[in-house]
Amino acid sequence: MQTTMKSLRHIAGIAGCALLLTGCDKMLEFEPGDVILAEDAINTADDLQRMLNSNYDVLANLLNGRQQCIAELLTDNMARPYSSLDYTAVWNRETNFFTPTTGGLYTDFYYAIYRANVVVESFDLVEGLDDATRLRLEAESRFVRAVCHWYLVKMWAYPYGFTADNSHLGVPLRTDAVAPPSPRATVAEVYAQIVEDLEFAKANLPDENGPYASSMAASGFLAHVHFQRQDWNASQAEAERVIGSGLFQLDDDLDRYEAGSDSVLAGDLINPETVFGIIGGYFAVDGDSLLNDRSYAFRDNFRQDNNLNPQMTFSDEIHQLFQINQADDRGAWINSNEVTHKVTRFDGKQFFNVPVVHLTGLHLLRAMSIAENGGDLSTAIADINAIRDRAFGADQNDLGPGSDAGTVLAAAREEYRKETLCEGWELDQVKLRGVMGEDETVRGAPWDCPGSLLQFPNSSTTAAGFILNEEGGCL
Amino acid sequence: MHQMKSRIATGLLLLCSVTAWAQGLNGTITDENGQPMPGATIMANGGARGVTSDMDGHYALPLPAGQHTVEFSFVGYLKIAREVSLSVGQSKTLDVRMESDAVMMDDVVVIGYGVQRRKEVTGSIAQIDSKQITSVRTPSFEAALQGQAAGVQVSQSSGVAGAGSLIRVRGVASVSAAGDPLYVVDGIPITQNYFLRGNSGAMNNNPLATINPNDIESVEILKDAAATGIYGSRGANGVILITTKRGKAGTTYEFSSSAGFSNPASLPNMLNTEQYLTLRQEAWENDGGTGYVWLPGFTSAGDSPETRKAAYANALLTNTDWVNETVGTGVKHNYSFGVRKGGEKHNIYAGVSYDDNGSYLIGNSYERVSGRVNADFEPVEWAKIMLSSSLSQGINNRIDAAWSGGLGDAMSNALPYYPVYRTDTLFGADGTVQSLPGDYYLYQDEWGGTKNPVAVRESKTWITTENRSINNASLVLNPMDNLFIKGSGGFDYMHVREDIYNPPSIFISSDLGNANRYANYVLNWNYSLTADYKMDLTEFSTLGLLAGSEFQRTDSYGYGIGFGDVTGPVFENDSLLEIANGQTTVNNPSQHSFLSYFGRANYTLKDRYFFQGTARVDGSSRFGRNYRYGFFPSLSAGWVVSDEPWFESGTISFMKARTSWGKTGNAALPDYARFGTYSAPDNGILYNGQPILFPLQPANPNLRWETSRTVDASIELGFWNDRVTTELAYYNKLSQDVIMNVSTPPSTGFTNRWDNVATILNRGVELSIKSRNLIGDFQWTTEVNFARNYNELQDIGNYTPDAVSGGTNDSRVIPGSPVGSFYLMEFSHVDSETGLPVYLDRAGNETFDYDNNERKYVGDGLPDFVGGMTNTFRWKNWDLRALATFSYGAKIFDSSSKRQLGVVTSWNMRTEILDRWRQPGDEATFPRLTLDETTYGLPSGFPWWNTSLFVFDASYLRLRNLTLGYTIPRIGEGKHAIRNVRVNASVTNLFTITNFPGLDPEVVRDFENAQDRNMSPNVTYLTPPQERAFTLGINMSF
Repeated sequence: MQTTMKSLRHIAGIAGCALLLTGCDKMLEFEPGDVILAEDAINTADDLQRMLNSNYDVLANLLNGRQQCIAELLTDNMARPYSSLDYTAVWNRETNFFTPTTGGLYTDFYYAIYRANVVVESFDLVEGLDDATRLRLEAESRFVRAVCHWYLVKMWAYPYGFTADNSHLGVPLRTDAVAPPSPRATVAEVYAQIVEDLEFAKANLPDENGPYASSMAASGFLAHVHFQRQDWNASQAEAERVIGSGLFQLDDDLDRYEAGSDSVLAGDLINPETVFGIIGGYFAVDGDSLLNDRSYAFRDNFRQDNNLNPQMTFSDEIHQLFQINQADDRGAWINSNEVTHKVTRFDGKQFFNVPVVHLTGLHLLRAMSIAENGGDLSTAIADINAIRDRAFGADQNDLGPGSDAGTVLAAAREEYRKETLCEGWELDQVKLRGVMGEDETVRGAPWDCPGSLLQFPNSSTTAAGFILNEEGGCL
Repeated sequence: MHQMKSRIATGLLLLCSVTAWAQGLNGTITDENGQPMPGATIMANGGARGVTSDMDGHYALPLPAGQHTVEFSFVGYLKIAREVSLSVGQSKTLDVRMESDAVMMDDVVVIGYGVQRRKEVTGSIAQIDSKQITSVRTPSFEAALQGQAAGVQVSQSSGVAGAGSLIRVRGVASVSAAGDPLYVVDGIPITQNYFLRGNSGAMNNNPLATINPNDIESVEILKDAAATGIYGSRGANGVILITTKRGKAGTTYEFSSSAGFSNPASLPNMLNTEQYLTLRQEAWENDGGTGYVWLPGFTSAGDSPETRKAAYANALLTNTDWVNETVGTGVKHNYSFGVRKGGEKHNIYAGVSYDDNGSYLIGNSYERVSGRVNADFEPVEWAKIMLSSSLSQGINNRIDAAWSGGLGDAMSNALPYYPVYRTDTLFGADGTVQSLPGDYYLYQDEWGGTKNPVAVRESKTWITTENRSINNASLVLNPMDNLFIKGSGGFDYMHVREDIYNPPSIFISSDLGNANRYANYVLNWNYSLTADYKMDLTEFSTLGLLAGSEFQRTDSYGYGIGFGDVTGPVFENDSLLEIANGQTTVNNPSQHSFLSYFGRANYTLKDRYFFQGTARVDGSSRFGRNYRYGFFPSLSAGWVVSDEPWFESGTISFMKARTSWGKTGNAALPDYARFGTYSAPDNGILYNGQPILFPLQPANPNLRWETSRTVDASIELGFWNDRVTTELAYYNKLSQDVIMNVSTPPSTGFTNRWDNVATILNRGVELSIKSRNLIGDFQWTTEVNFARNYNELQDIGNYTPDAVSGGTNDSRVIPGSPVGSFYLMEFSHVDSETGLPVYLDRAGNETFDYDNNERKYVGDGLPDFVGGMTNTFRWKNWDLRALATFSYGAKIFDSSSKRQLGVVTSWNMRTEILDRWRQPGDEATFPRLTLDETTYGLPSGFPWWNTSLFVFDASYLRLRNLTLGYTIPRIGEGKHAIRNVRVNASVTNLFTITNFPGLDPEVVRDFENAQDRNMSPNVTYLTPPQERAFTLGINMSF
């Protein structure tokens, strides 16, 4: 037994040596290269600003034509896409949760929302962050959050007013950056948050802020949001705030998509109508001119001067719309062989800025709001004629001063549809008219047929309990 | 080893001493294959006189006149006794053929960090020797394990040269973490990354391909927790220990060579031009079309009737058998030479080999050159140095396969009316000549890719080169009796380089080609220190203790270079390389490490009661400080009942019972999955000229090991003096905290997250039987193994089946179903009136609506039963061995059928489609033909008809190998005699009995990642079938 104990001591000693030889927790510490660990990512105000920049970056990747193409395909503006399976699925209103293009769009909107929430939740990580910077960062972040939620709820949910109390399902509402997934909030809840965030931005941002969120940009979006809420007075007020600010002017010509070059930087080419838009093209960085393409989805899908078969072409209905009065200069946006009506609006443009909220739209929005709320029609008529003068020539196709509200509304709607061709805004009109009880159809199917809403991506259903949109039924 | 040396020494002495013997017994001792057995013991009359056989198996036993009982014995073989009667001055010759002992209680089995007598083993270990591995010619050694061990499911990959196998030990216990067993070569857990190049070319790299099967002495497969527990965090999916050959006493040279050829085990039955056009025309007319149907590559639906008619007539002029253009006969040959040499203080094994394995896919082959040196040196009695080193190179002459091209194209987008070569001149839009008669006919697939399998194969250069070196050095000290201290250092180096050159001839309009090089390096260091001590506690009990620690670190690097415009194969021409302008992308390095402490205690009582406890603490860099270390214990016991004094049975000659419980883990997930990370790119990603910062991956500091708790019980029985032996085992493995790379709702800001989510149950029984049906001159032995595994994914938290998917394979995680379940719309039948497909929704109601929301479990790829049966016949010097393997109950999702047997598209179709509905009243397998996917309820533009119609029974019985051998015991005399020569002829995959209508019921397709590999067994997508190989071989030693 003594020998045994002695042996055991040997063993213990040797085992101890073994532990000493190899035991070191530091040997288990490896960190990924070429990335920043989350705990080290945000320490300064500059980090927050870069994070905020990435919000705009995502937004630019969404509004470079991606969102606009999808929205256009859900209306009667567009013919069947040339070959894109996903675009065809959208046009047929039969997207499903495997449709990657719409799934990617949905996902990217939430990327921006998440990043906005991270900024808002990270102020305490930065020592000495001054109140003004903090307020600006929060206001810009909430602007991005609101805009993204709004695009989501417009395309993935039935519109405001679809139910009396708007208790119908909207989209997941994310106001924090915590991990657990969220179910779909009601449309009422989503809109309430959108308005609250935009009001916060409006109150806490300067009127102008270059290509970034500004008080006027918030008002511009609020005009659209309230219009969808059928709150005509609020919509009119917000539109008037922007129009009346004098900061923006209607462009003299019909081209709002300003194209730059490596010698003409995108930031210097913001169209005077643009209240909020995307900068796409060349930027000056450390003395160099760098390209950052944020217009590719417009260019690659619409352009016909360098593409025999573009995906996006106008419908017969749009072609006919311009046949009624061929003096309309906007008719030049169509190159038709009577079978295919190609879009020329972006011909010759490679990298260009994208106006999202613009003065033309707000003038017409105001006109429609006035026509709906019984306000001063002369303002509305002036708004419409300002647009018509540009399209047809001064006083060539003006709305008469005595036009009634119905005529004004119809004219404003027509101009709005024409002016926003390819921009995706007509989808708002379709849904609004539908929810207001008008006889609204898209390619012969009721505006709210199952399938008129984009289907959520498959990944949204990976947490139990998520409710998908109804599919099919529009063909 | 000491025992062996002393035997040989004794034998040599006796050999010397009997040169002048007067009378006695002499002869040759051989094994069941007729191979000489050196070192066998020949004893007369209970040990009064004894000798051992020499290197040629010869013995000479001096015996006086009289009656004697002579016993012949050898470890691992049954003892044989013969009565011999000698008269005065008489000598007799008695040759003896030994038979291996099925129970082999005294045989040594390799276990983790040591060896053990088989009798003492309390865990579940399957041992496969070198003969079993080399007897079946396979593209990679691990495929030869198929059918050899119960509970070890081996599915050989496709017929692509160098392709690996999918091995699952006792089922699948992981979802997103790698579910492969841990491979340990001579003590080093080796690099086993199958995804260094993803699934480039529809093939995963095979990290085991460079291992020379002729270097392998034995393979031990550790199955239960008692056996794998010593590998703790990495043992949950089993451990495969590979022991390479070492030197032996004396000098033996071994040479083997084989040559053969191979063909596909089956061929696809694609439509010819006339059939395809007829069916396409029918589909067109079913859809309301008039006139001639438009033809992909020739016309479009909008073309005039006249144009379509002319194109149809033109198409009928060509009938290309694209399968025949891509498939041929693979030629293969290999040579292996080794030497074993041993002496008092040293021994050495050195081996070299060359293997050229051409597959039946034209242009595809895998060449391996390898060398190994294993040397042991014992300068003093108390110290021994052991060195193992291998160096190998595998050169894979690649071709595109499956979805990437080649035979895959022949089975899909290569329509039979496309010619291989142009017969006309092709002009571009500007009138320039683009192609001349005799040039390749290039067509476009539906994705716009330029295709022609012959052109691509003949023009493209694609070589993957793997350089691999596995090295280990150990110092074993024996400072006191029964105490062994072993320190080891290992280094495993892997460098895989893939060079691709695409010449301009495979592009429709380009004068320049392009080239890419992808290089990956994996450096794997391993250090371990163990102390092993055995002591006799009492006269009847012994205690063995092992303590140790181990550290392993793996670094992975890589880069890619892309050359956009090159005039030739830059990697084969330095002058071209110098002027080429390549864009280099350096992969982020990836590193991980394990730090482990472990111990084992073995207690033996009366040499029939055995107890073992193991414990291992593992730390891994892949986990954060919250859960960095895991504790993995195991307890086990064995009882040799038949050694009890009270045990008496005329029938049962051996009985052993054992049981175990233990906890093991799995940490085979990406190195940095736990980290939350951000990116601040400096590669020009800016908005409005301003820098950005954004999150990449969500943090999960609580990510931890997935752990399996396994209970195992078995009973081993020998009947009729071990003429028949069996082992029956039961196990229950519950894996918890199973790691899933969950697809998360986008509203979380991320699309996926690594988390410990699932619970998986694997429960099963295994039965092995070995029966010597006939003994004597004509011998017949049957070995059968059979395993039944029940696999159930019991819980996936609050997630839905779509949370984790197997790549594009429609496999999902479905609670209550096995891992690897197919999640599809259920097909019911073809409506006889309309010819439309009828589906079943989740409630079982018939519907014409195809709705992805109604997808459900429609089968899984996991078999209910798998096993193998080997029958060996021996007569004189002849032997015949037949290995059959079987799988029952698994389904196979023939994913490419959804295009080959669905909507008529720009894919060719299989002849089964001829059984389609044509008119009301038809009862058909397939619905009315259509060019319009909406006819079947699919979204327009998506002809991917994912339904259970293409989920088939994958049960099969396959004659895996049939080998006929003849052994010549000796050629020549004296020092230069060749002691034995064995020639053999073998056939692999001679036939397969199955109901599966596709190519091959045993399939391992290319996978996107480890998760796909776990979840998508038995999915085929244009996957080339296995080969049928005919081989002639010779083995000799001298």
